[in-house]
Amino acid sequence: MKKVVSGILALSLSASMLAACSSDKASSGQATNVGKDGRVQLTALITKHPLTEDVSKMKWLQDVEKKAGVDIKWQQVTADWGQKKGTLLASGDIPDLIIGPNAVTDADYVQYNGLFEDLSKDMKSLPNVEKMFTEHPETKQIATQLDGNIYGLPKYQRFWPATATRMFINQKWLDKLGLKMPTNWDELYNVLVAFKKDDPNGNGQQDEIPMDFAPPGTISGFFEPTMLLGSEGITLTDASGNGYFVENGKVKNFVTDDRFKKLVEFLHKCYAAGLINKEVFTQDYTKFQSVARGSGDAAKVGFTWGWEVTDRFGNQLAPQYTSMPQIKESADSTAKLSWSYDYNGLNYGANMITMSAKTQNKAAALKFINALYDTKVSMQVLFGSLGTNIADNGDGSYKVLPPADSKMDPGTWKWTSTWADNGPMYISDNLKLTLGTDMQSVGKQTEPLAPVLNAVDKSKDVFPGMFIKYSKDDNSKLSLNDTNLNTLVLAKYSQWITKGGIENDWNTYLNNVKKAGLEDNLKIMQKYYDKYMSSQK
Amino acid sequence: MRFFSKGKTASDMIFDAVIFILSVCIFVVIAYPLYFVIIASVSDSTLVSTGQVTLIPKGFSLFGYQEIFKDSRIWIGYKNTIIYTVLGTFINLLFTLPAAYVLSRQEFKARRFIMFIFIVTMFFNGGLIPTYLLMKDLHMTNTMWVFIFPFCVNVFNLIITRTFFENSIPKELFEAAQMDGCTHFQFFGKVALPLSKAVISVVGLYYLVGHWNDFFTGLVYIRDYSLQPLQIVLRDILVSNQVFSEGAGSGGAAGGYAQRYADQVKYAVIIVSTLPILIVYPFIQKYFEKGVMIGSVKG
Amino acid sequence: MAFSNPETKKISGNMPSISGAQLSRKSSKLSSLKRDYQLWIMIMPAIAVIIIFNYIPMYGIQLAFRDFDFTKGLTGGQWRGFYYFEQFINNYQFKDLMTNTVVISLASIILGFPAPIILALIINQVIWKRSKKTLQTTVYLPHFISTVVMVGLLNVLLSPNTGIVGLLMKHIGLGDIDLLGSTKAFVPVYVISDIWQHCGWNSIIYLAALSSVDPQLYDSAKIDGASRWQTIRYVDLPAIVPTMIILFILSMGNVLNTGFEKVFLMQNALNLPVSEVIATYVYKIGIISNQFSYSAAIGLFNTLINFVFLLGMNFIAKRFSNISLW
Repeated sequence: MKKVVSGILALSLSASMLAACSSDKASSGQATNVGKDGRVQLTALITKHPLTEDVSKMKWLQDVEKKAGVDIKWQQVTADWGQKKGTLLASGDIPDLIIGPNAVTDADYVQYNGLFEDLSKDMKSLPNVEKMFTEHPETKQIATQLDGNIYGLPKYQRFWPATATRMFINQKWLDKLGLKMPTNWDELYNVLVAFKKDDPNGNGQQDEIPMDFAPPGTISGFFEPTMLLGSEGITLTDASGNGYFVENGKVKNFVTDDRFKKLVEFLHKCYAAGLINKEVFTQDYTKFQSVARGSGDAAKVGFTWGWEVTDRFGNQLAPQYTSMPQIKESADSTAKLSWSYDYNGLNYGANMITMSAKTQNKAAALKFINALYDTKVSMQVLFGSLGTNIADNGDGSYKVLPPADSKMDPGTWKWTSTWADNGPMYISDNLKLTLGTDMQSVGKQTEPLAPVLNAVDKSKDVFPGMFIKYSKDDNSKLSLNDTNLNTLVLAKYSQWITKGGIENDWNTYLNNVKKAGLEDNLKIMQKYYDKYMSSQK
Repeated sequence: MRFFSKGKTASDMIFDAVIFILSVCIFVVIAYPLYFVIIASVSDSTLVSTGQVTLIPKGFSLFGYQEIFKDSRIWIGYKNTIIYTVLGTFINLLFTLPAAYVLSRQEFKARRFIMFIFIVTMFFNGGLIPTYLLMKDLHMTNTMWVFIFPFCVNVFNLIITRTFFENSIPKELFEAAQMDGCTHFQFFGKVALPLSKAVISVVGLYYLVGHWNDFFTGLVYIRDYSLQPLQIVLRDILVSNQVFSEGAGSGGAAGGYAQRYADQVKYAVIIVSTLPILIVYPFIQKYFEKGVMIGSVKG
Repeated sequence: MAFSNPETKKISGNMPSISGAQLSRKSSKLSSLKRDYQLWIMIMPAIAVIIIFNYIPMYGIQLAFRDFDFTKGLTGGQWRGFYYFEQFINNYQFKDLMTNTVVISLASIILGFPAPIILALIINQVIWKRSKKTLQTTVYLPHFISTVVMVGLLNVLLSPNTGIVGLLMKHIGLGDIDLLGSTKAFVPVYVISDIWQHCGWNSIIYLAALSSVDPQLYDSAKIDGASRWQTIRYVDLPAIVPTMIILFILSMGNVLNTGFEKVFLMQNALNLPVSEVIATYVYKIGIISNQFSYSAAIGLFNTLINFVFLLGMNFIAKRFSNISLW
C-alpha cells in the first residue's frame, strides 16, 4: 500500500510538472510571436457554421493573412459556444480576435469591461471600416455602444432579400381541382378543404396535409403562420420572435392585439377541420422539411411557408409549387397588407469581429481586420475564394460560380468552402457581382411579395431593433420578462389553435400577460425607439 | 437445466413461467428500439422520420458511417478517449477504494465527519468559473490531466463502495485477521479487495463509462483538437449534419443536400461510440454471478 | 490588571483538571491516531482531491449574493444580499416552475426507484444462463444512447401519424392521445422513457449486491421448503436492502433536480405548461443575457432545498433502519 501511495504522489507530481512544462511551451511560443516566414503570430477564435471546412485551408484567407503579415493560429468552434464563452471571458483568457455573428454580445462588452479593445480609437488603422461607416452610417450605429466606444464591428452583406419567409402553394393541385389561387382567408380555407377531400395528389389516399408550418420555438418565427398578421396590417420585423412590432411610431406587441386573436381563431378553424398537420407543434424542423418532400412525384403538403422552393420541397417536387402574394383577411377587408420585413436582420449583423485589449501586436491585428473589410476580400468571405467559387470577369465584375460537385446546392457549397454569412464583411454597393442560382431564385420567389414589402413604411412601421443599444439593466429586464412572456403565450397560442377556447380565456390571459411584465417592456422599448427616431432626424 | 429437475413443485413451475414471460416482454420492449437505431443508421432519413422504416432498413446506405470515418479526427478521438478512460478509471479506483474502506471501519472515529464533508460536495459547488480559474492556476487547462485528476473521487461511487464493504465483509473476518497481527493495509489488500470484486467491477464500470461519455471536460478545458476526446469529435460530426434543422432564412444553409442522410449520422454516432463499451461488459458481468465471491474465498 | 487577577486565579485554579482532561484526551487521540495511521494514509488522497477540486472553488457561491463585476473579480461585485433570491421567488413563473419540477422528479423517484430493483430480482431468477446473460446485456444497452438521440427516437416512435407506438395506440383505441403534444402525456412519457433507458444500468448495482449472498442461504432455504417467492422475500431482498436505503436517501436529495437536456429537448409549444422546469428556465435566462448572479442564486436555492430533503431522509433512515449516509 505504501508503494501505491508513493506511486500516487510521484504520479501526481510528475503530472503537475508535465502540465507546467506544456503550458510553459505554449506561453513561450506566444511570447516570441513569430509565425510562418517571420509573420506576426496571432490567435483567433471563430464560431463557424458546422458545415464549414477547416478555415486554415481557405485560399482567400491564406492570402489575406500573408498580405497583412500575420500568421493566425485558429481555434474553430462549431457547437456550444454559449457554454464555452462564459468561462473563456470570465477567466480573461481570450484569443487576440474573436470572429462570428454576435459571438461577443453588447451585454458581454458591458459585463467584461476592459477585456476588449475600443476600436473607435483605432479608426486610422481601419480605413476600410471607416469607408463602410461613411457610406452606410447605419453600420456605425450598429457598432457604437452607449458609451460611444466600438468593440465589435458589424457586417453589411447587401444582397439578401427583404424577407426570409415566402408563402408557397401547390399550383399543380390548384389546377387539377380547378381552383383559383386564394386571395383571402376564406378562400384559403375553401382551397384547403378541397385539398383535403379531393385527393389532389391522386394516390387514392387521404394523406394530404393541406397546411403545414415550422414548429414554433418562440411566439413567432420564420415560416410560421404569424405571417398572416400582415393580412390585418401588422408589419413584423425579423419575424418578431417576441411579438413586438411598430405601428405608426408606437411600439406594440401583437400577443394582446385583437388581430392576433382573429388569426388564432382562423387557425383553430383550420385545425379543427383537419386542415393543419396534426404534428405541427410537436414535429422538429427536420421532419417539417422531410414531410414536404412527399414520396416520389406525389406531393404531400398543399400550402406552407419556407425560404426557397427547392430548399422546402426538394428538386423533384419544387416545380409543382409557386410562391404567393400576401392574402387579405376577408374579401371586404380594407387593412393595408403587410408582411415580415427582415431586410435589416438579413443584411446587417452586429459584433462580427472583436479584438482583445491585451493583443500584443495591435498593429498587425488591425491590419488583418482592415483587410477583411476590403470589398473584394469581403466578397470572398461571403461566397468563397476567387477562382474556385467566384470568377473574375476581367471587366471589374464578378460572378458566383456553381458548385464544383453538381449534386451539391449552391447554399451548402458556400457554407462548406468559406465563412459565408458568419464572417465580418462589407459588400459595397458598387460591387458588380452576379449571384448564384439559389440567390437568384430566392429573389424571383420574393417578387409576389414585393408590392407589399415595398409599401412598408420603414420609418414608422419597422422596429429598428438592430440599431438600438439598451443599457445593461434595461436589457436584462427586457429579456427576463420576455422569457416569461414567451412561455405563457406560446403555450396558450398552441393550445388555442389545437383545442380552441380563446374566447373564454382571453380576458384572464390579457391579465396574465400584464403580470408577466409586458407593459414594462413596452415602456422601455418605446423610450429607446423614440430616442432612436429623434436621432434619425 | 434446473427446470427439469425432480422435486420441483407446481408453484415453482408457475413461478418460472411467470419469470420467463416477464423476461421476454422486457427483452422485446428494450430490444426493439435498439434494433431500430441500427436499421435507422443505414436507412434513408426521410423514410425514417416519416415512419416508413419499422422492421427492415429502407433506402440502404452507409453514408452515416462514411461521414464519421472519413473524418481523420475520429481516430485521434478514440486514442485520447481510451487513454483518458483507462488511466482515469485506474486513478479513480486508486483514490476511491481505500477511502471507501476507511469510511466503512466503525472504529475510525472521524468517519462521520469526513463522510459529511464529502456529501456536502455532492450538493454545493462554486460554479463553473471558479473551477475553471482553479484549473488554470494548476496549469491543467488544455492538458490531458484535466480528464484524470479533478473530481477523481466521485462521492456517489464512494458511498456505494462503502456500503458494500460495510455489509458484505463479515466483521468476524477482520477480528480474526487482527488476531493474526494483520494490519489495515494487509487486510484491505488481501481480504477486502478480493472479496469485493463485484462492487469493484460495478464502480469501475461507473467510472469507466463516465470517462467514456465525458464531453463537458473537453468542451470547457481543452482547446487543441489533438487532445479532444471521442465524444467531442462525434458531437462536431453530429452537429455538422444537423445544421439543416436550423432553418434557412437567417442565413442557414439553403438546400436539401445531405438532408436525406442527416439522421443516419445521428444513429450511426450512437453505434460508433457505444460498441467499444459493449465489449467491456461481458468481462465485468461474470463477477455478478450468484455467490461467486464468498464461495471463492471460503472454498 | 489588579481586578483581572481573581479571574486569572480562577482559571489557573481550574488548570490542573483541564490540562488533565486535555492530556488524557490528547493521549487517546494520539493512540487512536497511532492505531489508525494506516487508515489516515488510505483516506488522505481522497480528502486532498475533494478539498482541492471541490472546496477551493466554493468561494464562488457568494456570486448568488453579489453582482458579477468582471473588473473587480468574482468576489468584488456589489453585495446584494437576497435580492436575486427574491427576484426568483417573486417571479411570475415561480409557482409553475416549482410545481413542474417537483412533479417530474417525484414521479421519476416513485416509479424509477423500484424499477431497477424489480428488474434485478427478475434477472436473478432467470435460470437459463445464456438467456440471463443476453437479457442482462440488452437491458443495460439503452443507457448509452445520448439524450439527443433518445428524444429523436421518442419523436419517431411516438409520432401519432407515423410512429409504431402511435399506431399501436390507435389500434387499441387510444388514438386520440397525442403522446408528444399533450400536457397529460408529458410526465408519463418522460418517466417511462427514462426507466426504459436507465433501468438496466441501475440494476447493475443490485445484481452486484445479490451476488454477495452466501449460496448456503439458498440451500438452507430450499431445505426448509421455501418457495421461490419466499426465497426472494427472505434471502434476496435483505441482501439488497442496505443498498436500496442508501440509494433512496440519495435520490431524495434530487427532488428539485430534473435532467436539463432531456426536458429541454422534449419541450414543445403544447406541453410547455408542464414542461417548463427550473433547469430549463435557468438555461433560457442564462443564454439570452448574462444573468450570472441570478442563475447562481436559483442554483443555490435549489441546492439548499435538495440538501434539506437529503438531511431529512437520512435522519428518518437512521432512526428506523440504522443505515445512514454518515
